[in-house]
Amino acid sequence: MNHYELTLILNPDLASKFDPYKEHFESVLSQLGFNIHYCENVGIRELAYTIGINKKGHYLIYQLDGDPANINELETKIKYDNSVIRHLVLKTDTVTESDSFLTQDTKEAKKRTEERAHEAKLKAQVQQQPKPTASEIKEDESSSEEKKDESPSGEEEIPTTEETSEKTESENEEQS
Amino acid sequence: MKKLTLPENFDHKNIDILKQFITETGKIIPARVSGITAPEQRKLTKAVKIARFLALIPYTDKQI
Repeated sequence: MNHYELTLILNPDLASKFDPYKEHFESVLSQLGFNIHYCENVGIRELAYTIGINKKGHYLIYQLDGDPANINELETKIKYDNSVIRHLVLKTDTVTESDSFLTQDTKEAKKRTEERAHEAKLKAQVQQQPKPTASEIKEDESSSEEKKDESPSGEEEIPTTEETSEKTESENEEQS
Repeated sequence: MKKLTLPENFDHKNIDILKQFITETGKIIPARVSGITAPEQRKLTKAVKIARFLALIPYTDKQI
């Protein structure tokens, strides 16, 4: 008997099929004589790099007890399972029966994304309601100011552009 | 570089610790730079390499 830590990265598209899949997988484990000490359901995390076409993965970490002779059989079963993106079996000295840092980290990341989405929604709502009036006033002010600013400078600029256009025309004539 | 300390118990799942010992490009920082002991560095490299395989830490910054 050895202690093992089995990490699975599942396809995040499983979604509603996840619970039946987990039950099925645990029955496979018990069939092979593995005793499940602890199952850590980390949840969907963003992968550090894409695996195949997947940018996210559902992490599952099992703490197992079992016969080393059955590990190969388990690995072949996982290998031909299409919903598993990546797996790793590690032999460990002790069995830990608590959630690791990963679960906490994914929960925090989820919170952050939810908060961001919530803030973005609030911002969008705020922008939609009072902005038209405020922005109109601002635009009026800015446009009037721009007109004042532009009027002297615009007069100065126009002749220069005309001169350059004339120059280019004369140059073109010379070239032809 | 400021001297870093490695806690006694850590593994490939403690990515907050591992991230202190890799560069922006994903390389493992040498022990002579980070100041940790040789046995600690051996443990660290194993943990980093497992974490990389499980896509918890990038191998490089060139991967998308």
